[in-house]
Amino acid sequence: MSTTGHVPRHAAPGQPGQPQQPSDTQVLPVVDDTTTLPPVSPATDAPPPVTEEPAFRPGHVGRAVRAAIWLVLAWAVLAMPTNLLSPFEIGVADIDIASRAVIFAIGGLSLHVLLGYCGQISLGHQAFVGIGAFTSAYLVTDLGLSFWVAIGVASLLGAVQAVLLGMVSLRVTGLYFALVTLAYGAFAESTLFGITPLTGGEGGKPAPRPVGFESAEHYYYLCLGFLVLVLWLDWRLTRSKAGRAMAALRENPRVASAYGIDVRAFTLVAFAVSGVFAGIAGALTAHHDEIIVKSSFDFRLALTFVLMTVVGGLRNRVGVVIGSAFFAILEEGAFVALVEGAIGGLGFTPTFFDSALGLPAEFVGLVVGPLLLLLTLTLYPGGIGQQIAPVRQWLTGGRFDRHAGQVREVEVTDVRA
Amino acid sequence: MSQTVNELGIAVVTGTLQGAVYALVALGIVLVYRASGVFNFAQAEFGTTGLFAAYAAKELWGWGYPAALAFGVAAAVTMGLLTERLVIHPLRNAPRVTLLVATAGVALTAIGVQFWQFNETLVMTMPKIDDGFFLVPPFDAPVTVQQLITFGVLIAASVGLALFFRSPSGLAIQAAQQEPTAAELVGISVRRVSMLTWAIAALLGGLAGILAGPNTTFSAAFLSFGGGAALLPGFMAAVLAGMRSMPGAVLGGLSVGVVEQLGTLTIVSENIPGARAAVLFVFLLAVLLVAPTGVFVRKAALA
Repeated sequence: MSTTGHVPRHAAPGQPGQPQQPSDTQVLPVVDDTTTLPPVSPATDAPPPVTEEPAFRPGHVGRAVRAAIWLVLAWAVLAMPTNLLSPFEIGVADIDIASRAVIFAIGGLSLHVLLGYCGQISLGHQAFVGIGAFTSAYLVTDLGLSFWVAIGVASLLGAVQAVLLGMVSLRVTGLYFALVTLAYGAFAESTLFGITPLTGGEGGKPAPRPVGFESAEHYYYLCLGFLVLVLWLDWRLTRSKAGRAMAALRENPRVASAYGIDVRAFTLVAFAVSGVFAGIAGALTAHHDEIIVKSSFDFRLALTFVLMTVVGGLRNRVGVVIGSAFFAILEEGAFVALVEGAIGGLGFTPTFFDSALGLPAEFVGLVVGPLLLLLTLTLYPGGIGQQIAPVRQWLTGGRFDRHAGQVREVEVTDVRA
Repeated sequence: MSQTVNELGIAVVTGTLQGAVYALVALGIVLVYRASGVFNFAQAEFGTTGLFAAYAAKELWGWGYPAALAFGVAAAVTMGLLTERLVIHPLRNAPRVTLLVATAGVALTAIGVQFWQFNETLVMTMPKIDDGFFLVPPFDAPVTVQQLITFGVLIAASVGLALFFRSPSGLAIQAAQQEPTAAELVGISVRRVSMLTWAIAALLGGLAGILAGPNTTFSAAFLSFGGGAALLPGFMAAVLAGMRSMPGAVLGGLSVGVVEQLGTLTIVSENIPGARAAVLFVFLLAVLLVAPTGVFVRKAALA
């Protein structure tokens, strides 16, 4: 072992003679015991100046390129879907798909509060969204209230039913709670949405768009506005005491409870927030479709919500939004049209999926979506959120680091059932 | 009143026979849970896959009925083995909710493939093994031979499983479930045991699908949440069995079948829309709140 006068085998960082490095994952050189190291007298060696690496700041060109890309992104979200300043001609149907993508993002964020922050799985999210949709449609069509009142009541009712379910989750935990949500979704689908006076039965319930937002373009901006609101609330939630409490609850409810976190209250808060988001998403869905039928809130919708949240990347807000929008576009077959348009532009046959794979466009979402989920779970646990992390870091003025935002596995939560 | 009693009698008979399908699904769920600690949401989809394979063989390629049945079961077992190899094994150390989402992903993949491959004929039918049916006194409950065959298969499967778990392979499965490391030390391949368990579970699911399909018309996702939804009832039966007991799964399946049929009574269905789903939801909540460790389970098995 090291004797006096030799450098100790594991010199602590900051020791004279060892240059300090900012990284804490620094690998210490392995010193072979048989080689004699030259004696170092710490007294004579002046400690090297600790060079704090200056924070990376992009140069003029870098800043210009980043600004240009930000502009393109803003244009793609704000202007392109409504044919403003756009060289492309986008039809009303495609604007509707864009609105749908935004609504799906709100729904995805709703499930994300439970699945990502709280570690509670919900397989009955079609009920959350459906209750909001039918509430809003009923209030506007049958009671003649304005859209703004209706969406408020819808989100309130969404919160109430979510809190009721949350109370069950306090008693029935883990995988068993997943079963409860599954049964709840089936119950809502056939019993709650089967109440003909409220939901209009098989014929559905009309839900006119609010005054001033009748056109597809204006409705898109309305949805976008609500998405911004939901994103802001979600961001405030994670920055608040409730957000930190939820993180503690997710890791281990008993330990959290021992630290004085009110398990009951914060679980219910999470459910309430999720219910509010789902209510908003539901009301927007109702007035987007303008007539809603109960068959659009089936179990497949609930599974799509789980898909887009996990593929988007848990605990990654931007990833969830992109994942949700992606699945909304995939569902409607618009993604295939986009890809085939791009391939066609290169001079290949524009029916790539249909002819090469024998996969008609309307089934691409059904087949590709679940495969993406399985790939995310087994190989790319961070989901879309991790895939875009390097780009995101670069866009916010950092270096392009391929390994930014690495996640080792999708950790929903561990439960002892 | 007498009408209600009559309906009740019919509900019990119909429910018990329908429960045989749930019991087959529940047996698979319990087996997989004991082996991998996974709530297998793909269990019912093993059945639909088997059913679709049998349908393709019988109706599209013109095979004989026995060959089609064998092909369907083989397809289900193949799917089970692939699931274990490609999804469950790589995720064996992942949290259990992750695994749950993964099995739901397997189910969705299967459903997607069914929609895609069979999109020309949205509603399919398959002939029954035997078309006979008769009315059982004293309530004249209608019973088809197909249902009786299903019930017979359930009994045969239960007896077969009971015998199997006393054979060396069955004991190896039990050992590997209880103490994987120690089982490896005495020369049991945990990996092989896991594949064997999933194969048996998929076999049970496949049988459930092939036997339930001819009762009605079917389309994609038939056994998960379509016309013959057996996934949720199967899970309820498994919960009644405390997720562990095999005889409990059989009893649980039969009782869930009867409870579900209570929703079809005139006095219930007249007043509540979609009464079957409501009855099942209330029943599940009651079971989980009152007896979360299961009902049909020996107390010694809990210790």
